[in-house]
Amino acid sequence: MRRQNFLLAAAAGLAVIAQPDHVFARALAQAPLPGLPGSERRCLVLVNLYGGNDGLNCVVPHGDAGYYQLRPGLAIAQSDVLAIDARVGLNPGMRSLKALYDKGMVAIVQGAGYPNPDHSHFRSTEIWQTAAPDRYEHTGWLGRYFDAAGLPTENLFKGVALSRVLPEALVSDRTDIPAIPGLGQYALMANRNQTARSAFWRQAHDASLPFESPYLAHVMEIEGDAQRSSEELPKLVAGYTTKAAYPATGIGRSLALAAQIVGSNLGTKVIYVEHGSFDTHVNQKTTQNSLLTQFSNAIGAFYDDLAAHGNDGRVLTLTFSEFGRRIEENGSRGTDHGEASPLFLIGGAVKGGLYGTPPNLASTNMGNVRYTVDFRNVYATVLERWLGRSSASVLNGEFATIPLLG
Amino acid sequence: MAAPAHVDVGGILRPQGRPDLSTALQPYRGALDERAAAHLLRRAGFGGSPDDVRRYRGMQPSAAAAMLLALPSPNSIAPPQALPNVAQRQAFTSRRERFRARRQVTEATQLWWLNRMLSTPAPLQEKMTLYFHGHFTSRATPAFPWITYNQNALFRQYALGNLRELTRSVSKDAAMLIYLNGAQNVAAHPNENYARELMELFTLGVDNYSETDVRESARAWTGWQVERRNDTVSFDAALHDAGVKTFLGRTGNFSGDDIVDIIFAQPQCARFFAASLLNWFVYNDPEPELIEQVAASLRRSNFELAPVVETILRSNVFYSERAYRALVKSPVEFVVGAYKTLGLPAVDESALPALRLMGQNLFYPPSVAGWPGGSNWLTSGTMIARQNFLTRLLDSQTLSASSWLHSLPLATNGAASTLAQTILQGDFAPASFAELKGYLNGTGSAALASLSPENFDQRVSGAVYLTMATPAYQLN
Repeated sequence: MRRQNFLLAAAAGLAVIAQPDHVFARALAQAPLPGLPGSERRCLVLVNLYGGNDGLNCVVPHGDAGYYQLRPGLAIAQSDVLAIDARVGLNPGMRSLKALYDKGMVAIVQGAGYPNPDHSHFRSTEIWQTAAPDRYEHTGWLGRYFDAAGLPTENLFKGVALSRVLPEALVSDRTDIPAIPGLGQYALMANRNQTARSAFWRQAHDASLPFESPYLAHVMEIEGDAQRSSEELPKLVAGYTTKAAYPATGIGRSLALAAQIVGSNLGTKVIYVEHGSFDTHVNQKTTQNSLLTQFSNAIGAFYDDLAAHGNDGRVLTLTFSEFGRRIEENGSRGTDHGEASPLFLIGGAVKGGLYGTPPNLASTNMGNVRYTVDFRNVYATVLERWLGRSSASVLNGEFATIPLLG
Repeated sequence: MAAPAHVDVGGILRPQGRPDLSTALQPYRGALDERAAAHLLRRAGFGGSPDDVRRYRGMQPSAAAAMLLALPSPNSIAPPQALPNVAQRQAFTSRRERFRARRQVTEATQLWWLNRMLSTPAPLQEKMTLYFHGHFTSRATPAFPWITYNQNALFRQYALGNLRELTRSVSKDAAMLIYLNGAQNVAAHPNENYARELMELFTLGVDNYSETDVRESARAWTGWQVERRNDTVSFDAALHDAGVKTFLGRTGNFSGDDIVDIIFAQPQCARFFAASLLNWFVYNDPEPELIEQVAASLRRSNFELAPVVETILRSNVFYSERAYRALVKSPVEFVVGAYKTLGLPAVDESALPALRLMGQNLFYPPSVAGWPGGSNWLTSGTMIARQNFLTRLLDSQTLSASSWLHSLPLATNGAASTLAQTILQGDFAPASFAELKGYLNGTGSAALASLSPENFDQRVSGAVYLTMATPAYQLN
């Protein structure tokens, strides 16, 4: 055992008997590097703030006069900003997130992006989801993590996308991840021929068909998974009691289900959630403030619920968005597609604070915020320090980790 | 990085092996058998009723393609009845009335279109309309749903028309001007959203233009405005940037139409549409050589679609084993196809929530890139939604509603064979077929009473469910 691992393991042992104060609680959560006990109980919740979240009105550079000059109609007044320090603060809708920040549970990585930024939703989303800015990759970064992790195939809930369509981040070569829009929608309707149907499904996996299709194997796999997982999921999560008041929003419902899945100990490593659309070309303020408020309130309830079950240290939430937006506002009280933007890491294991540097509005890339942190460094941190896997093969390159955790 | 002819989307799979490229686009020789007829009707439309399949069986591929390519005039098609006209809309006084009317309009338009797909004598017209809806994507505007139908009608008008003219027209379509912010694109504050997607997703693909081209094209598109009161689009010269632009290597005082012409003069443009059409009609991720052949055909026809679609629909590669069931049924193909195959008269509104859960809410594509297709349609969640749609459909219908189910033989073997043949053209694994027979006569693992006049309806609808739940039925 390397010395560092030994120390962390010792700290973890101590934490169990000592009172769970801040430092030791963090050490406990930090401990599971590859092979150490505890890592199998950890879960990553990935939140896609889709549409391109405007970073400047999310983590507001209220100490920068340039911000107020370039956004005469859109800037958030200094008095409204939830100040973190003299330079930056949070959007006024994000009170719950600010409370978590004040508890040291939120890391803000400023200026996250990638080289040669692409301004198309489609391509830039693909880049963040596949972690491949310089080539086309048909698998997602978490899909490759699952393929490499070799988790037991009989566990149908290794990863769960709380969405209608499987996001590209979870597309893999060998691992089926269910996309579950909601518990109520994830069940086969009872019909009068239940037994016949079950018997038939077993037979339906006979592949000796008079044609070949590139999709046949996939259809069979998904049909089998749908049958089994829809029977099992409601039973598996039935024992959980939600202990927080979630807002009645899409993101509220998704995170309530995420907490239920975590609390039901299904061996789930990744839960994908989406929230948007942040594509605010027009009348940005109303739309973005409302979406950020919804996000923040849902996250507040989520960590209340997790904490009430003792699960807050087990869950790391990471947000991303395909790009930030143009610094200067456009003629329709909105902003066009831009480049770098901040992302959030939230959880009991997070080393809270500001990371990276606030956007430099004087030195831009054709009017866009330049990236100062490659998002793949954040992914590497999550893969290595949270999920306990080497990141080089997943990310197709060596990316240094950032001390965001523990 | 080499410019891909088509954006590489995850979950899109090419069939194994290689096509014979020297003969791929040459006309397929030989009369259509039942399998080939059903294949053609699935691809050029939304599947065939047993009568449709019988009509096309035995035809020569050229005659079958000609029959499908004969489209009625779009003017002969009546719009959805629920669409209130401008005067009626202005008469809505309360917010509540307006809200309800808007909601009804979107759903009524969806249902109207699904029923056209089911009942039209020219399914290819609707198949191309659906193709364009996924290609030139616009999401419906909830506060302004009346314009959605206008865009739908535009796609139908150009179903087999000229791609360049359609691109010019859709660029000035109200739904598009709103969805991709063309209506906010004015000389003083250019909005690049449409200019970018026009090249990236509609005509060229990524890496075939520069950021400067995006900015210059946006300038050329300035000035198009939407008047929401009466759905009209107008050009306001005062908001247009009339300066000189440099776009894709050419310089001039370009208008939006000029931009379209310059784009269509790029060799890549024909390739882009060729790949997209092959993906739609033949199989996914087609070989570059095949794309090149269809692109040449598009250039020869000056981007007229009719001759190119005809070439594809009668070609060797279209009828090859590699193309057979090589696509995944989209939810719309699955739903409309189920009604069609069962000979049911009309799609009812329960199909709308089912389609949403399957991942294809018409007029609401998930992103400007449209629906990604292929295995992206299939997750445990969407598969459950497909199964539940079938359960609900079969529970809500009596066999007498179907044009043929009530006349199935009462004998187990005969009933099972007819179902397997009519619904799946025999694409049934032997073990599944044995289980289907076992289910019908009550001797399968479920041990039911044997098939009788008393349980006939219930048993047959269960057997239809099982047949449509097979893996083969998910493939198109």
